[in-house]
Amino acid sequence: MTTETVQIDIDSDFMRTPEKVMRLERMGSSFPTRLSFMRTLIRRMSKENWKFERTRREVDKDGYGISVYAVTTPNRTYSLIAFTQEIPADMRTDRVIAEVWDATFSLFDGVPSQEDIDYLADNTPKQEAGRYRPSELTLSRANKSLRVFKNVVDSLSAGNQPDKDLLTSVGYLMRTSAVYGSGKFGCADRDKISDREECKAPFQIELLTVYLIRWFTIDSAEELAKERGGEKAVKLDKTTRRFIGVGNATGLGMAPFLLKHPALIHNWVVAKETALARVRSIETPIEGTLKVFLKSLLQVSQHVDEWNVEDDIQSERISCLTDEIQALRLWCENEPNILRPYPWNGIYQYVEDNFSLECQEMVVSLIIEPHGALVDDLAETMSTTEIPKFKADMSLSELKEVVADSYQWATTIDFSLGESQHHFWYYSEDKLEPRFGSKGVDDGVEKEMPLAIGRDVHDLNEKLLETSNATSLSDFVMSYPQFRHIIRRIQNTFVRPYSEVQDNLLSETMRPLDLLRFKLAFFGASKFDPKSNLWTRISMYQGAPMPDQLSEPNHDCWSFPIGGRSQSYPCINCTCQKDI
Amino acid sequence: MSKRHLTISLNEVLFYFTRAAFGVNAPIGLSEDFARGNIWVSENGFDPSRCSLKALDNLDSKASSLSIKFEKTKDGGHLFCPEGKFLSSLEASSSCVDWIEVSNGSGALKISNVDSPFLVVSALGANGCLGIKVLWTDQEKNQFQVNLINNDDWEVLSSSSTLIELSSNADMLISPLTASDESNKGNIIKKFNLAEEKLKILHIGVKVEENWDAIYSYFSRCLVKSSAESRASGAGAGLVDTD
Repeated sequence: MTTETVQIDIDSDFMRTPEKVMRLERMGSSFPTRLSFMRTLIRRMSKENWKFERTRREVDKDGYGISVYAVTTPNRTYSLIAFTQEIPADMRTDRVIAEVWDATFSLFDGVPSQEDIDYLADNTPKQEAGRYRPSELTLSRANKSLRVFKNVVDSLSAGNQPDKDLLTSVGYLMRTSAVYGSGKFGCADRDKISDREECKAPFQIELLTVYLIRWFTIDSAEELAKERGGEKAVKLDKTTRRFIGVGNATGLGMAPFLLKHPALIHNWVVAKETALARVRSIETPIEGTLKVFLKSLLQVSQHVDEWNVEDDIQSERISCLTDEIQALRLWCENEPNILRPYPWNGIYQYVEDNFSLECQEMVVSLIIEPHGALVDDLAETMSTTEIPKFKADMSLSELKEVVADSYQWATTIDFSLGESQHHFWYYSEDKLEPRFGSKGVDDGVEKEMPLAIGRDVHDLNEKLLETSNATSLSDFVMSYPQFRHIIRRIQNTFVRPYSEVQDNLLSETMRPLDLLRFKLAFFGASKFDPKSNLWTRISMYQGAPMPDQLSEPNHDCWSFPIGGRSQSYPCINCTCQKDI
Repeated sequence: MSKRHLTISLNEVLFYFTRAAFGVNAPIGLSEDFARGNIWVSENGFDPSRCSLKALDNLDSKASSLSIKFEKTKDGGHLFCPEGKFLSSLEASSSCVDWIEVSNGSGALKISNVDSPFLVVSALGANGCLGIKVLWTDQEKNQFQVNLINNDDWEVLSSSSTLIELSSNADMLISPLTASDESNKGNIIKKFNLAEEKLKILHIGVKVEENWDAIYSYFSRCLVKSSAESRASGAGAGLVDTD
């Protein structure tokens, strides 16, 4: 299905404008929705009854060795090959420049032979320094949260469940620090798999890898406990297993991707905004949905209560969010506020008028959540295969008009000010680690990545204004080839109004963290835990069903999970509604 | 990565070749076009480093220039370098694709003294410029004709066994393909089907051989030297993460 076959009305009165949505501050307040890619994948796993099996476990008494976890879809099998090893504590880093990891993984396309496993045993533990083949779909690694992993293994081996508070505060046993796909280091190109049904939505194969890693972390801890505790050992209880996610540490690498794929980003945002617009345009609420929403406000209060971070800015936001959710609950308890036509629009509007961006975006997720039947088709519109083309037959006057209409946010920035061009993005020779530099402080400005969209549009606009409309575009780019890339970008983005971040990415006040959170929210990540303006930790699949729980009726109910509960608040689409 | 006889992915072709061109000071837009052309080359089973190194060397040594002029002719147009140097195939490629789009491929386009003719062909292929033929005779007197027939099918007619990707500088002529162009007696004909070749490449990868190190070396120019300060602060995270 494409955007042409799913009903999308960008001009709907209920759509939020690109000028409102595509601003860094709001993007940096994003939360996952039911359209997030992990949610889409879990729904498919359940619907298609995917089979999961650990097919190999050859490890020593400390759990070091090789394991293989296979998943079989209706059409094929994928195998996660995991290599574990002991590493020195002081070499445990989440950075790209790391050299060793507790666990490393390759997702193999099919069932690996012994020869394949031997090849990967020589390469996967080296990560970026190894080489991979088109039979490998992803490459990944993870490090333990030592205190949680130890507590879980020690507790289970002694016949006890782990420390719930500790588990809730961290949320995972291991933290991934990269999941490479799409041809990285020789792995399969996306084109190899893009026609497969289970790979059509964005990042499905990468997120399948993470799901299997999550299973691996839990399985490994339980097996180690059994090894140490023998008959006394117990497994994690069902509720705890489901609550445990897998961590991730994310840095600057995600930001360039976001900026280099404007058509894709447009599709993501249009899908989410269309979902919101569809819900806001409901005159009479679908039976049960308001009740679900009100219940969800109670649950997110606890979710937010469990969301503890050290970062001062985010702590303050969370504190404010706590108060605002409470205030919203009180407002909703006053029935005339919600028992009226267009109640969802009323709720959204009230929140937008009165509360922080963090609260606004959380409420967007909450009001979309009970409306799966209304919005889930949009998940199928979030990919693109389009390669942007330069359109030489556009006239210069048309280009000038497009820049004036669609890029006012860029042409009005004063780039003569130092603060407007404070930063630059670059690749370090240190394992190609992406870094964010400051002009006048860091070396390498002449090698900056071409991500200065606003500045490039601004400079193009200056040149266009002094060029006659009689000049053809092909003549213009022959004279000024330095503008070819930005013209191509403009030609392909002005018809996709949600494709551009409408802020200056070089500004002194720019926080790459906002871009990271925006993208991670679309993945379905939660519990954003910023470690700086360039770096964040997150949880993935927290609350999601484990492989043996995928057939349960509440498999899709894991939005804003909370510790110690068997399920998330019920959605309107499944039988757990009766628990309301 | 700077090893010979590697197998790389198409995405790596895009990544490394864009930056290799940028490394010899080609503007980023032309560098992106160059890399897209190299993806087409790779999808058809060629070693992109073999096709492209000469063009990058020429830009780096300034034997070729990105400076270009267009003039109308009675049959169509003429692209040339006004500086008396080789016309860089990076610029020639993008400009000829633009001309075909604007002219709808009618008429003939002459391109003078292009340093790596096959890269121009790759740009035409990558941009879906179909129903055209490209003719040239290089410095070694090898004659080539490339017929871009439809989305998948294209063919090379040549007067010798010289590899087309190594063909040296030449004047090129691009014009509409006619029925008689598809069978040319006396020439060596090699036919390609992009869909079939690409499928193979997606399963075996792109082999790069002796020129890869030099491509990687140009790519490396885009990397910034790491200092103790940038290592500590540039990525925004600490050097040890134990929790």
